[in-house]
Amino acid sequence: MHKLWQSFLINIRREKLLVVVNLVIMTVTFFVLGMFLNIVTLSQTALRSLEEQAQLTVFFKDEFLEDQIMIMKAELETDERVMEVKYVSKEAAFRIFTEINKDQPVLLESISKNILPASLEVKSKELADLTGLVSELEGREGVEEVKFYRDVIERFIAWSNAVYVVGLILALLFIVVSYAIVVVTIRLTINSKGSELEVLKLVGASDKYVKAPLVFQGTFFGFVSAASSSVLLVLLSLGGISAGIMPSKVSFFFIPGAKLETSIYMIVLVLVLLLSGVLLGFIGSSVAIKKYLKY
Amino acid sequence: MPQIEFKNVTKEYEPGFKALDDVSLCIEDGEFVFLVGPSGAGKSTLIKMLIREELPSEGEVLFNDVPIAGLPQRELPNLRRKIGVVFQDYKLLNSKNVFENVAVALEVVDSPDEVIKNVVPNVLSMVGLAEKMFNFPKQLSGGEKQRLSIARALAHEPDVLVADEPTGMIDPKSTEEVVEILERINSLGTTILMASHDQNIVNKLKKRVVRIEEGKIKSDKKGGRYYAQIVAKLLN
Repeated sequence: MHKLWQSFLINIRREKLLVVVNLVIMTVTFFVLGMFLNIVTLSQTALRSLEEQAQLTVFFKDEFLEDQIMIMKAELETDERVMEVKYVSKEAAFRIFTEINKDQPVLLESISKNILPASLEVKSKELADLTGLVSELEGREGVEEVKFYRDVIERFIAWSNAVYVVGLILALLFIVVSYAIVVVTIRLTINSKGSELEVLKLVGASDKYVKAPLVFQGTFFGFVSAASSSVLLVLLSLGGISAGIMPSKVSFFFIPGAKLETSIYMIVLVLVLLLSGVLLGFIGSSVAIKKYLKY
Repeated sequence: MPQIEFKNVTKEYEPGFKALDDVSLCIEDGEFVFLVGPSGAGKSTLIKMLIREELPSEGEVLFNDVPIAGLPQRELPNLRRKIGVVFQDYKLLNSKNVFENVAVALEVVDSPDEVIKNVVPNVLSMVGLAEKMFNFPKQLSGGEKQRLSIARALAHEPDVLVADEPTGMIDPKSTEEVVEILERINSLGTTILMASHDQNIVNKLKKRVVRIEEGKIKSDKKGGRYYAQIVAKLLN
């Protein structure tokens, strides 16, 4: 290991330009990959948070008593499609109405305390379940009306699905492209030493002797560039958090409902980048060197 | 038992083109053998087969009675440590200095640092490059590069030294120096197999001369002489 490290340092000293170019290309690639994953994660977080805002409101007839409403509330809370049910009494509805329209005294005067109906505000876990819930609730006893912005929600579902699919495809594509750039960069370094590797084999070097320094170098470069880009991404995210751009919790990639603290997400991202750097450096250099081992 | 034996070796790079055609040749331990013939005669192919850079299409090459083609990949480094090779184009490591270029031949056999520190200066003295130990190949003349290439081939004390046109790219004075070094190495017991089409050297040294033309051995004489094709035709 000591000899490997020594020859690695000598090599770096003698090939400064190639080393710098290599590190810069790989760092930029990992940084762009990290940024892209951040953008995908933030857009998913925004979509999920919009989904959570969507709800339906069940308005009840005046003769339907609060006890009966509470039974229906309890029943809805056990429904696995439902995330949250909130009861708004006639009094609470009037309070809200007054608060919203406090600048319109004429309107407030014309409305009596009992005119607004009691209601249940229902949020579903999945946006798509809202339509089913609406049709089930509309026929129930005591229900006056179920309000639900069908067009808006349906259009949103269509867009949201498209963003998921496109985001997933782009993320996978970008990961493949980044990996290809890193592997090609490592290959360039190894190819530039092609004749030297041939000579080493001809003077009796074993495969391991030829392979070890280059695989070590590739792995080290992968790790250093992934670490550098991670530092940049963490600094940028910290800036984003302090500026209020980054939320405190983010969606965990494409898993519905899964949320992570932003700090934990950043740790996961850094680990993913470091692991990618080390693995790509190792695999990229091992593959690139193969053709020189046949001598 | 000959040290090196080519048994009915044929090498066909593409159908209908035979670089070597049914070649049989034995070389004893400690011999100095010239492989002569015009460019493209098959000399380099023969040498490449000895270090298994190429495999024969037919026949077999034996080193110390062991068929080289049958050696597993992991045994190749051991074979190449027994056969030092000097190339016409030197094949030096340009990113390493003179000392490191020789040291690499010892590092690949896991020689301890102490051994490397002792052996490398000795070998470099032998080829007259002790003063240029820390120069890089680009700072050396053609003759010096070739002497460095010889030093590297000698570092792990091979049984055989194979030189493929070692004087092809250097001036007459350097040629003399290189040949003198090779003679000295041979006198210490190392077998030398040297491909050349330099008739002056071949005729001066009066060693065994194997003449190859169009992939076939045309003559094999101890103390033989060699004339370029046009001179040979005139003499005949």
